[in-house]
Amino acid sequence: MEFDLENPLDNSHALLQWDAVASLFHIESQHTPSHTYFHSLKASNFNISVRRELISLISKFSCSLDPLVSYLSINYLDRFLSNHGILKQKAWALRLLAISCISLASKMIKPGYSAIDTQALLMNDGGIIFETQTMQRMEGLILGALEWRMRSITPFSFLTFFITLICVKHPMEQVLKKRVAEIIFKSQGEIKLLEFKPSIIAASALLCASHELFPFQYQSFSAAISNCLYVKKENMVKCYNVIQEVVGMEMEEEECVINEVSSSGTPVNVLDLDHKFSLSSESEKTNNNGGMAIVVDDDDEEALQEKKDFIINKRRKMNNNNNNQTVHVSRIAQC
Amino acid sequence: MDKYEKLEKVGEGTYGKVYKAKEKATGQIVALKKTRLEMDEEGVPPTALREVSLLQMLSQSIYIVRLLSVEHVDKVPKSAPASATTKPLLYLVFEYLDTDLKKFIDSHRKGSNPRPLPPALIQSFLFQLCKGVAHCHSHGVLHRDLKPQNLLLDQKKGILKIADLGLGRAFTVPLKSYTHEIVTLWYRAPEVLLGTTHYSTGVDMWSVGCIFAEMVRRQALFPGDSEFQQLLNIFKILGTPTEEQWPGVTSLRDWHTYPKWEPQNLARTVPTLGPDGVDLLTKMLKYNPAERISAKAALDHPYFDSLDKSQF
Repeated sequence: MEFDLENPLDNSHALLQWDAVASLFHIESQHTPSHTYFHSLKASNFNISVRRELISLISKFSCSLDPLVSYLSINYLDRFLSNHGILKQKAWALRLLAISCISLASKMIKPGYSAIDTQALLMNDGGIIFETQTMQRMEGLILGALEWRMRSITPFSFLTFFITLICVKHPMEQVLKKRVAEIIFKSQGEIKLLEFKPSIIAASALLCASHELFPFQYQSFSAAISNCLYVKKENMVKCYNVIQEVVGMEMEEEECVINEVSSSGTPVNVLDLDHKFSLSSESEKTNNNGGMAIVVDDDDEEALQEKKDFIINKRRKMNNNNNNQTVHVSRIAQC
Repeated sequence: MDKYEKLEKVGEGTYGKVYKAKEKATGQIVALKKTRLEMDEEGVPPTALREVSLLQMLSQSIYIVRLLSVEHVDKVPKSAPASATTKPLLYLVFEYLDTDLKKFIDSHRKGSNPRPLPPALIQSFLFQLCKGVAHCHSHGVLHRDLKPQNLLLDQKKGILKIADLGLGRAFTVPLKSYTHEIVTLWYRAPEVLLGTTHYSTGVDMWSVGCIFAEMVRRQALFPGDSEFQQLLNIFKILGTPTEEQWPGVTSLRDWHTYPKWEPQNLARTVPTLGPDGVDLLTKMLKYNPAERISAKAALDHPYFDSLDKSQF
């Protein structure tokens, strides 16, 4: 059985067992980096830059994989750094750490893991590759530091539980879950969030998404979640504000790019934005295509009314056109 | 592994030898269990990673033997030729408990002072066993090889913990252990013996029932030495199962035509057990796995009414 981030306990007998959920809340702190780690990052720009570099390496290597692999890898990374300390490292060492986190996360999540695939991630990147023994040693070091607690309890572990609390029914549940996942992915790099427990991040991200998608029900959702025995309301409010900031920055970035697109009328680099926007494979593939003309089609006009839809459609369109290497431009000015 | 000093071999786990050992730095006594989880050219295999991390998570319960750490060993054995290629092995380091339920029952049956187990102790051990099994089941894990040898005891504190757990799914329960020692069939549920392919939490509850009866009787309820004998032993006491009792039983893979035995009075097999205890035992030994009591429900059975549950 592969590891499922939404179901770390591997509970196949029932969708949601309350006892098991209670035990998740009980042990989640064993799966988070220490407070010292959070403070060491806050105190040192050097530490922040090392972490940022490692995260960007992981995102780069794993861009063709399930975003959950990347998410889990960064979770391992933070817990490893928390245990091991952040040292001044050579570039190859950072690379080795990043790829080993990915390799472990793939082994946990992906059904058919193969070491060759992991090597391929390094080769695609064109940089140094490592001998399997070297990687094994690094994996061993990580496993030791994490005490083999590889079934990380992450915000994803609590999603189903919180969604049940607010009684959102299918198919809205799927829409909501998808948006929450996006928010969780996006905020993983934010160091301020390291202060909060995974359950609090899940609750806050869920509220954030509900605020966007179901503004009228937000109050009642918020009340339902705050009433939950395991949620400390003041922490949730603090965490919610941090996540709102992260999501707010994303909106600003999008607006900024949209303005650029509208004013220039010439191919601009929407791809940069796209890269920031997601950990998904498509954006990277497109990037690799090199010089591409970016264009907006007629039928994109409506989409532009909604900033998010714009970006999503854009990406889809680019993906659809991936093989052509170019996208036909028209009427960009109207946007 | 240099961190540990092996003191003595304390048993043969299903997957390898178990040693009592001392952690040199702290003096802590631990149980070292060699696994068959070999490292291969891809490093720690995904199955090992998933199973051991599951075990790590389950062992948070006080009713499960605690996994303290996992060690890789890639030393070449001294006896091996220099050219031997070694596959690094994984050792699991568990907390050490001084005895197990099998030894405990034996000490009450044999020796200088044979005596029954105190009824309050049986009640307490069974309650803790059900707690541990409920914990595993709520986490989606079946033990599949519960037996008195796998239940470790801290005699001073009166604590029972489940051991030998979690590695079950990467390797199906073998008929013979790696030393070719026959794995006991005495606690195996009839659906497993009859070759069902879909079994669930009921297999563990059957074993719990057998262990319950054994604590009372001080000898096994169904001691069989082959799968066929094992089934006959069960049928002779509980009666040969019928389609009415257990729909689908005659279509199971290994079903044959058996003599038709009538069920006996189960109370006679456990003469010192009160009616509540017999009722609970009956519910644990239901033929139809779907009707068998769950571990969680068992905890609320009247048999435990007289137990002070606040201590757990």
